[in-house]
Amino acid sequence: MATQTETLSGVTTAAVNRKKSNLLGRIALYSFLIIFTLSYMTPVFSALLTSVRTQDDISLNGFFSAPREIVLQNYAQAWSQGGVNKYLLNSFIITIPALIGTIFLSSLSAYALARYRFRGNRPIYFMYVAGTMLPFQILLLPVFLLTNKLGLYNTYWSVILIHTAFQLGFCTFVLRNFMRTIPGEIMDAARIDGANEFGIYWRIVMPLTVPAIAAVATLEFTWIFNDYLWAIILLQNDALKPVTAGLSTLQGQFVTNWPLIVAGALIATVPTLIVFFALLKNFDRHQFSGHDDGF
Amino acid sequence: MAVTSPTVHQKQKMNWTPYLFLIGPLALYLVWIIGPMLYTFYLSLTDWDGISPEAKYVGLENFEALFSSLGRRVPSAFEYSLSNNLKWLLTFITVPVGIGLGLAMVLNQDVKGDRFFKMGIFLPQVLSLPVIALIWSYGVYSPRGGLLVSLLNMGIDDPPAMLAEKHLVIWAIILAAAWRQVGYIMILYVAGLKNVDPTLLDASLVDGANAWERFRHVIFPLLAPVTTIVVVISIIDSLRSFDMVWVMTKGGPANASSVLAVLMYIQAFNNYKMGLGAATAVILFAISLVFIIAYLSRVMKDELEY
Amino acid sequence: MKNNSKVVIVLLAIVALSLIAACVPAQPAPVTVVETVVVEKEGETITVVETVEVEKIVEVEKEVFKEVSPVAYNSMHGDPEPRRVDEMLVQMFNEQNPDTPVDQSTINHEDFKQAIRAYLVADPAPDVMTWFAGNRARFFIDKGLILDISDVWEEQGWNEDYPKGFRAMSSVDGKQYFLPSSWYWWAIFYRKSIFEEQGITPPETWDELLTTCDTLNEQGIIPITIGTKFRWTAAAWFDYINMRLNGPEFHLNLMLGKESYEDPRVKAVFEKWTELFEHNCFIEDAAAYSWQDALDPLNRGEAAMYLMGQFITDSVAEEVQDDIDFFRFPIIDPDQPIGEDAPTDGYFMSANAKNAEGGKKFLAFMGSKEAQTIMVEELGRLPVHSGVDPGLFNPMQQKGIELIQGADLVVQFYDRDTTPEMADAGMNGMMAFWDDPEAIDDILADLEAVRQEVFAEEE
Repeated sequence: MATQTETLSGVTTAAVNRKKSNLLGRIALYSFLIIFTLSYMTPVFSALLTSVRTQDDISLNGFFSAPREIVLQNYAQAWSQGGVNKYLLNSFIITIPALIGTIFLSSLSAYALARYRFRGNRPIYFMYVAGTMLPFQILLLPVFLLTNKLGLYNTYWSVILIHTAFQLGFCTFVLRNFMRTIPGEIMDAARIDGANEFGIYWRIVMPLTVPAIAAVATLEFTWIFNDYLWAIILLQNDALKPVTAGLSTLQGQFVTNWPLIVAGALIATVPTLIVFFALLKNFDRHQFSGHDDGF
Repeated sequence: MAVTSPTVHQKQKMNWTPYLFLIGPLALYLVWIIGPMLYTFYLSLTDWDGISPEAKYVGLENFEALFSSLGRRVPSAFEYSLSNNLKWLLTFITVPVGIGLGLAMVLNQDVKGDRFFKMGIFLPQVLSLPVIALIWSYGVYSPRGGLLVSLLNMGIDDPPAMLAEKHLVIWAIILAAAWRQVGYIMILYVAGLKNVDPTLLDASLVDGANAWERFRHVIFPLLAPVTTIVVVISIIDSLRSFDMVWVMTKGGPANASSVLAVLMYIQAFNNYKMGLGAATAVILFAISLVFIIAYLSRVMKDELEY
Repeated sequence: MKNNSKVVIVLLAIVALSLIAACVPAQPAPVTVVETVVVEKEGETITVVETVEVEKIVEVEKEVFKEVSPVAYNSMHGDPEPRRVDEMLVQMFNEQNPDTPVDQSTINHEDFKQAIRAYLVADPAPDVMTWFAGNRARFFIDKGLILDISDVWEEQGWNEDYPKGFRAMSSVDGKQYFLPSSWYWWAIFYRKSIFEEQGITPPETWDELLTTCDTLNEQGIIPITIGTKFRWTAAAWFDYINMRLNGPEFHLNLMLGKESYEDPRVKAVFEKWTELFEHNCFIEDAAAYSWQDALDPLNRGEAAMYLMGQFITDSVAEEVQDDIDFFRFPIIDPDQPIGEDAPTDGYFMSANAKNAEGGKKFLAFMGSKEAQTIMVEELGRLPVHSGVDPGLFNPMQQKGIELIQGADLVVQFYDRDTTPEMADAGMNGMMAFWDDPEAIDDILADLEAVRQEVFAEEE
């Protein structure tokens, strides 16, 4: 009867219709995304435009005007005057250990707080959160005094340690909440199999927390890399300065060569963007999904 | 989801494991953060100027000074700060969260080149502050040739100079800050969505739920841990906000855009009144604490017990 | 998992490398300079020996290790030109003094103001630092954190070579702590071409200034541009109106907390200021602009005047530079002595300096006629050393010097003459006044309360 053919064609039409609306939907989606992202980035594009002009050009013709001439020397000048070649290595020497340190240590704390009942769990959890509530500027002097007393003033360690410690609060908080979403059966099963606690942490829980770790690592890299106030207070030697401190000297007391500063700032974003790109790959949690939804 | 209830033969024994995990990080944290924090609380009771070797204990004088500055004809910096932080708070827990979540949802689908979109949205977080200040105060808000004014001129006579108007300036700054914050929130939600078990999603598809119902009843509840994080962060960040105000107006004009962290900074570092700055920090901390404890306690009640 | 392990391994490798680097002591250790004393070596054909007699000297190449003690110098001169000259001078010094080389670190100007309180109590403290004269330096000197350098003043003959005013500004209780090095004057800078076109001559009295505003307004030109976002540009107006109306001595006493902000003379300043508002002298929405943003209208010929320090000439667009001149702030009360703002920068040394001797050597160099001459030639600033050849000054500098020499009293600037806390309150008060001139009584009452609190502590 009509059943088979009708149903078939019914399904086909429905499938075709779904495909059509899917296509329309996708066009709409991409259009929205492109328009939205591009307008969102307008300020950034204007910065790019500014970086290839001269300060006089902007003053005389306006910020959004077409450049009278394109100059690329701002980048070269920012590079040398901002000391990018000198200081970039310092930025990494400070950021990488601090990043690894804070993520590793906070994952330990987060694991304990997320998966165990014990006395002091709640107060310690709150304490980690509380540590993020103060604006860090007020800690500048107390930490400086502590650093001075410990004899660490003017060393890389002073900055590495404060960054590691300071970010512990945020990271522990985030990772703890992510770790709670892991079903307990997995851990029970591992225990029955004879795994010790650290093994469960390292081999089971951590891999499952990878999306959160990637997100946190991205944010932390950005924040630690872009900081310079700690560096200025805790370091004195020019040779130790991170690139952000070097770039901040481009800003003068009176005169600011804006195109130069923007060029310097754009140079400084490159490492973070590279890290961002690389880490975005790790947002998948392979253990769970049978299929990849993503890139 | 019963998990780590101690196995039978350990029930009476203290489980040292969590403490072992905590020792390292906790030690570092206590010495480098909690210690200085407590020291700051102590400083709020002194008149230390930030450089002399001694500081005199003055009790609650600093706090009295702050609170007695309320209610003047020309509002004090403290008064402006309190209301500005509140405005910031209300905006931050709604706008960037909503947009960040929306973007994360959209980009979580099978979108080609989604890394580029994410990067574009995240870029404001990466860009250094003086540049952000330049773009927004000079490029967008400048009354002569700024973007906003050019747009508004098409409809309004005499558009306001955002950064010069004492009633508008803080909103101008909050907008720029929200623009910067969205990428941050989005990243967290992206991670959260990756965390969501797709089988649960598929199940709801089979049940015939439409997109909105799926979101409201399945996805959003599953994102609860991230939402907790995001709300707490938004509260803390809005009360702690400093950078955007500092680079765009330094709290001006005449304190109209002052926020607690900026006030604290000026007191401690410009005016050599570290004690007063510490007192402002304590007040900031207390306000955050109230909000956070209230929120977290409620959330933790709903958390599944082990 | 494989992806993750790769990432982890790479990161761990970087960590390892970084930790190794970090463990390398970064403390400035005494640098050893290897000096090679080459003596003629028999048999070697290193140099062309003209003399027939070959000196039979036994020594061969001798390596001499000299102990070098560096001088830590922290500078806040980040602006491109000052920095260039700063580095040039450091290099000159290092060439002349290889055993006490200067280790220079330049910090952003704003951040320096924060960092200095760490510098002064740190261990090791830097030896030499840049800083401002006036109350700002006084603050640290009073706390015993600054090294007494009277001996350097004495040795270098600065007591004779430096004008009395500068010596006074550097001394506390008869001892010198500060080395002033450059200063600049303030005046109303203007576009010559605009004045010519409108047939205006630079106003010398207050009424002439108001008339000038009217004339310019009629032509659709903004009389005075100003960017008050960061407040200090407004403070300049306060300084000058106060000095012209009430005399520089009253102004200075007010800065020192000896006069009341509710004194009717202070209110009179704001009443005069209001006249400027009534004549629409200022650009609209001044608070939306930084001082530099407000340069745009001047550059573009849309505005005519700007009350500013001499450094404005560093920043105006190149095409406009020859069109800029200045005139003295107009007289209000011809019976009052004339006061001028002339902020002075300089150097001082930390009381905890590790290498005080080296630091003093460096200071001696920076305060010398030679170094000062370079600063004049390269930067266009005015020197403190009276021995610098006046023929070096360009016409504008000559005019600036005459301006200052013609003054009866020279002060630093509002936020350098009074305490930071008072300055902060004061400048906020001025901004509040600018926004709502009617509120002046309340504003002054608040300022008076601050003054009493701030200066009461000092008694």
